[in-house]
Amino acid sequence: MKIPLYLAVAQWTLLFAFGLLLIVVYRQLGRALHKTDTAAPLGPEVGSKAASLEYSRFADDTVQYLTPGDGQPTLLAFVEPTCLSCEKLVLALGTAEQAGELSDLRVLLLTSSPKSYLKISDAFRATRLECGRILAQATAQAYRATSTPLLVAIDRDGVVRAAAPAIQLAEVRTFSRACLLPPPAGEPIPITATAPQHETDLEAAAPAAGAD
Amino acid sequence: MDVLVLCAKTALACLLIVAGGAKLSDPASFASTVRLFIPLRVAWPLLSAIAVAVSLGELAVGLASLTLPAITALNALVLAIACAFVAVSAIGYAFHRGRSCRCFGALSQRKFDAAGVLRSAVIAGIAAVALAHVGAAALQLNATARVLLLAAAGLLALAAFTAARVRGAGSEPEPKVVTQ
Repeated sequence: MKIPLYLAVAQWTLLFAFGLLLIVVYRQLGRALHKTDTAAPLGPEVGSKAASLEYSRFADDTVQYLTPGDGQPTLLAFVEPTCLSCEKLVLALGTAEQAGELSDLRVLLLTSSPKSYLKISDAFRATRLECGRILAQATAQAYRATSTPLLVAIDRDGVVRAAAPAIQLAEVRTFSRACLLPPPAGEPIPITATAPQHETDLEAAAPAAGAD
Repeated sequence: MDVLVLCAKTALACLLIVAGGAKLSDPASFASTVRLFIPLRVAWPLLSAIAVAVSLGELAVGLASLTLPAITALNALVLAIACAFVAVSAIGYAFHRGRSCRCFGALSQRKFDAAGVLRSAVIAGIAAVALAHVGAAALQLNATARVLLLAAAGLLALAAFTAARVRGAGSEPEPKVVTQ
């Protein structure tokens, strides 16, 4: 029996498409099981000293220099206006802030996007939290902000107490509590120096940040 | 030559099926991209409905193009869709550069950039190749073959849906909080 040419071609094309999808799923599975080394660690190491960072504050277009460990606990949120999960996190942070749950903290939203991008997101446009654009590639590297949203809790001594993706209000509360934990006793705090293995949106955009 | 034209036709059909299936796994995410191209302030449910309609449209055209190869009008429709891709990529590049296009849902992290416009142009070129005439004998399919192709295409859409869902879920791990 002779197979029509179209059927033969369609079979091979479908097989190729299935193969591509299989590779996508396999890679994702590999990451989930930590069996590949392509996934860079996300967020600074818990217990390490948080790095200083430089950002352009959107409210007044001034360059700010933040040094964690100046006595004020800090909650850093690495977010992007183009990311739906980030919008949820910003809304959750706003809710917590309005409820007075973040009054003891310095809360800072950091993005790689220019100020004009804030208008595309209702959550970012409406937030009263301080928001700024990362100015140095080293900041994204030091905080290993390889994807967003990323929430980093830093205590009054500048020690990273929690670092992970977060979206919900309950997670924000957990992180805000982590900021206020008493200082750890015992061994000295290691400095975070590990660079990420691959470039991210934040890292790629950081050098051009001053152009906006 | 026939093989080249048929490769182009089936590849585009598969592309539409994968794109439609992947987008359907997370319509809310694709709706945020749709919002970029609607200048008016539109309610979120309407945006979601448009996103689902676009995804289903892609899927339907892909399935029809794959299982009904003798209908040449579908080739023209696929070319029109490819031209729409070029237009969307160009507008995205001009006004929303760097934003995620969600062309394949969570399967791809591609953004509106110059390379995206080029990719769309290549797709349109392939769609133009698929317009070329192929002998009727090469396109003849019996009912069984048609049903099997439809089943395989449906499976491809389901695989794309699942793969996109897996990738989407994989990007939101549980938070770790260490207390001392």
